[in-house]
Amino acid sequence: MVIDWRNLSISRQILPAIAVIGLVIAALFIFSGLPDRALAEPEREPARAPADLANKARVAGSGVVEPSSELIQVGSAVSGLVTDVRVDPGDRVLAGQVLFVVDDRIARSILREADAAIVQARAAISEARSARTTAARQLALYRSVDDPAAVSRAEVIRAEGEASAANERLRLAQAQLQAAQARAASARTEIDRLVVRAPIAGEILTVNIRKGEFVSTQGGGNAQAFIEMGQTQPLHVRIDIDEEQAPRVALGKPATVSPRGAAERQVRANFVRAEPLVVPKRSLTNSAAERVDVRVLQVIYELPASDGLFRVGQQVDAYIPAGSAAK
Amino acid sequence: MSGVLLDTSAIGGCNPAAAICTRGVTRDFKAGQQTITVLHGIDLDVRSGELTYLVGESGSGKTTLISIMCGILWPTLGEVKVFGTDIYSLGDTELVEFRLKNIGFIFQQYNLIPSIDAASNAAVPLIAQGVDRNEARERAVAMLERLNIGNQAAKLPNQLSGGQQQRVAIARALVHEPRLVVCDEPTAALDAASGRRVMDLLRDVAVAADRACIIVTHDNRIFDLADRILVLEDGRITHDGKHMPEGH
Amino acid sequence: MIWIAIRMLTGDGQKFYGLVFGIAFSTLLITQQLTIFVNLIERGASSVYNVPTADVWVMDEVSRTTDVNYPMASTALDRVRSVPGVEWAVPHLRAGASVRSGDGDLEGVSIVGVDDATLIGLPLRMVTGSADVLSQPDSVIIDDVGVARLFEDGRSPIEERLELNDQRAVIRAVADAIPSFTSQVTLYTKYSQALRYVPGTRNRLSFVLVGASPGVTAGELATRIEAATGLRARTRDQFARDGVDFIIQNTGIPLNFGITVALGFIVGVAIVGLTFSLFIRDNIKQFGALKAIGVTNAKIGRMVAAQAGLVGLIGYGLGVVGTVLFIWSFSANPTFKGFYIPWQIPLISLVAVALILALTGWLALRNVLRTEPASVFR
Repeated sequence: MVIDWRNLSISRQILPAIAVIGLVIAALFIFSGLPDRALAEPEREPARAPADLANKARVAGSGVVEPSSELIQVGSAVSGLVTDVRVDPGDRVLAGQVLFVVDDRIARSILREADAAIVQARAAISEARSARTTAARQLALYRSVDDPAAVSRAEVIRAEGEASAANERLRLAQAQLQAAQARAASARTEIDRLVVRAPIAGEILTVNIRKGEFVSTQGGGNAQAFIEMGQTQPLHVRIDIDEEQAPRVALGKPATVSPRGAAERQVRANFVRAEPLVVPKRSLTNSAAERVDVRVLQVIYELPASDGLFRVGQQVDAYIPAGSAAK
Repeated sequence: MSGVLLDTSAIGGCNPAAAICTRGVTRDFKAGQQTITVLHGIDLDVRSGELTYLVGESGSGKTTLISIMCGILWPTLGEVKVFGTDIYSLGDTELVEFRLKNIGFIFQQYNLIPSIDAASNAAVPLIAQGVDRNEARERAVAMLERLNIGNQAAKLPNQLSGGQQQRVAIARALVHEPRLVVCDEPTAALDAASGRRVMDLLRDVAVAADRACIIVTHDNRIFDLADRILVLEDGRITHDGKHMPEGH
Repeated sequence: MIWIAIRMLTGDGQKFYGLVFGIAFSTLLITQQLTIFVNLIERGASSVYNVPTADVWVMDEVSRTTDVNYPMASTALDRVRSVPGVEWAVPHLRAGASVRSGDGDLEGVSIVGVDDATLIGLPLRMVTGSADVLSQPDSVIIDDVGVARLFEDGRSPIEERLELNDQRAVIRAVADAIPSFTSQVTLYTKYSQALRYVPGTRNRLSFVLVGASPGVTAGELATRIEAATGLRARTRDQFARDGVDFIIQNTGIPLNFGITVALGFIVGVAIVGLTFSLFIRDNIKQFGALKAIGVTNAKIGRMVAAQAGLVGLIGYGLGVVGTVLFIWSFSANPTFKGFYIPWQIPLISLVAVALILALTGWLALRNVLRTEPASVFR
């Protein structure tokens, strides 16, 4: 049909054309407007099972990095003011290295007193010795005089008494010396106790005391350790495994561990031991008032050396092969 | 058979030269319990080259007869041959196609399609035959020109006068050159002068040696234009001749 | 003959436009109402589709939808991770809370806690800011519907402070998310942070979101997780379907919209049927004449079909365009955010239009076919 432009019919040509064009536009609108429900890959890498476990039986767990010595919360045997802190967090220390020092003035004055008493006792000993010598010589003189008239009996007796008293004085002075020496030793021990030393070689993780603060032997209701340290070479990781899953774990096999937030950096961690005690799950995020009905088996693995990827206290995700007995 | 006076040729077999040949055509209508017989065994031959009138009062059965003769109403009894074809032995579709090819219709109320122009209306039989639309229009316009309304070809029927509409209807009946033209009361809606002009025109264009033309009418103003007049009364043909019998 | 039929139809402007209007109205009513219905009930699935990364959602056995959930013990995460075929699994928290906005209003919000390390569980896109703001303390990301609800005066929500469970929360970004069925304000934050914002209960882990390993289908994985852990695992599509079903079962929405759609159909049948019948009755003489002249019933049928087809094309086209204009013009309104026309709905209304036209066309055609050609001589 030839279209006569001067004589276009609204109902026969324009309307159908509008309808067709409208339908085409509507179809475009409809298909371009369909919602995008395609699945997307996550932008940040989530923790994935390692390739060799991807489609095999496995057990997943989460855990926390800890020192291989476990965490040592260093305490103080005596109360007092801190006069000196000798370490900073991150320091590596040897066993016996001084960590911090508590005020030792009282102990030192006691020591000084004891030292004075030692000197005094020594003087008393020498005095007693010379007195004993004098008394012994006088007694020997009296005894060598045969003439009873020349030396009365009474004088002899007095000389004998003096000699014996001088002996006693000497023993007394010696006893005093020992006492003073003992006091001094005890004061020295006390002074030594006021210096807190590293129990093992390791790394200082936290230092919660500063010069001038008071440390108490009570250990505090707040239970914040003065200094926390531990052996961080190597690090261990303590993996919590749901008790329902626990029987499936292949104990002894290495685990694949990745830190939260860097899931693509997976490392192999060797089995160390499984804790004999199944404990309530400790959730790091929930409040202390949480009621718990989930118990977990804790399995400990040794992390390989990795520069700064893992730090003590960090949360990790772990995949452990399941035992052959499991399905 | 007292009413049958004439046309002894109609008795017996059909004359092969006859355009239409009916033998014993009877038609009953059921009206409730009753059966009314409208046609009583009509035997009739219609010849080509003549303007044949079928005349009768309302209810005489002339509409029924013409319907049966042009293949749109089945007779109860009897046979109808149109140019030798026994049309009621054809299948439904064949009969429709036979009509489309061989018969041109002029209806009393024209029945033009109001939303297409005169030329398109006149072209309808060609279009129904599957002739290309432009060619059909050209032939229709040529036919309208023969009917002296070529200049009205692009007008819609309601823009034309009654006489012009009648001519469009005639053009539609003749455009596909049918061998039989059936014309129902062509002058009923026209005044005497227009009626005569339409009849003159019909005689000019519709009557040909190989074409039969039947006009159903009871318009006595045009009886003098007939070549042959058949009078139908109560379902029987009572007169056959060039002129109307006395008393009508 | 077809063009004659079309001319006959368009020649009578009144009836032609009546027919077109009837079809267009039905199409508009059916398409538009079905669109709103589908979008409304799909709001039940929006929380699922807002998480673009999870193949499978794992939840407690009794959880039903993203909002109707019962939290699990925290070790469920590790149990899910232990299932072969699980590529990754992260915790996901969803809970309701009340928030006090800066000007002291109380508003119910849903808190979504996403995995701390990977932020899996956040919507794909942000309107303002980026997901990285969650690394700042006390950060939350609000969804854009929440902005409209909480900050009606149009001020910027960025750096606004909220109070949640006596905790401070600072809005630092706005997420581009499809609102939930109730259009509740949604605040996204880290899982650990969300634990502080939601009043304490024993278990908090609402869902575990799981990614499937390559080569494992989500459906397979869900079955495997259910078998291995005893938890309920649903694929993304299943879980979205659950959300939709929940709304269907718990609201009168389907019935109401069903009634409207049925009304659209009935009105269409009534208008089109009546007009078509009138049109055919007006033209019955012409059809009779055509039959007498020699047009077969099959051709007449094709003519009526062409008329119905033209009316259908125009009416349907205008109705669909009307729906598109409706959706398009309301797309900026937060209530209609994310509304779309599912491609099935225009097809449904097309079928409805075809049914209306077939029904009314058949009724009209019956009159024509019953007309005796002989009637033209009466």
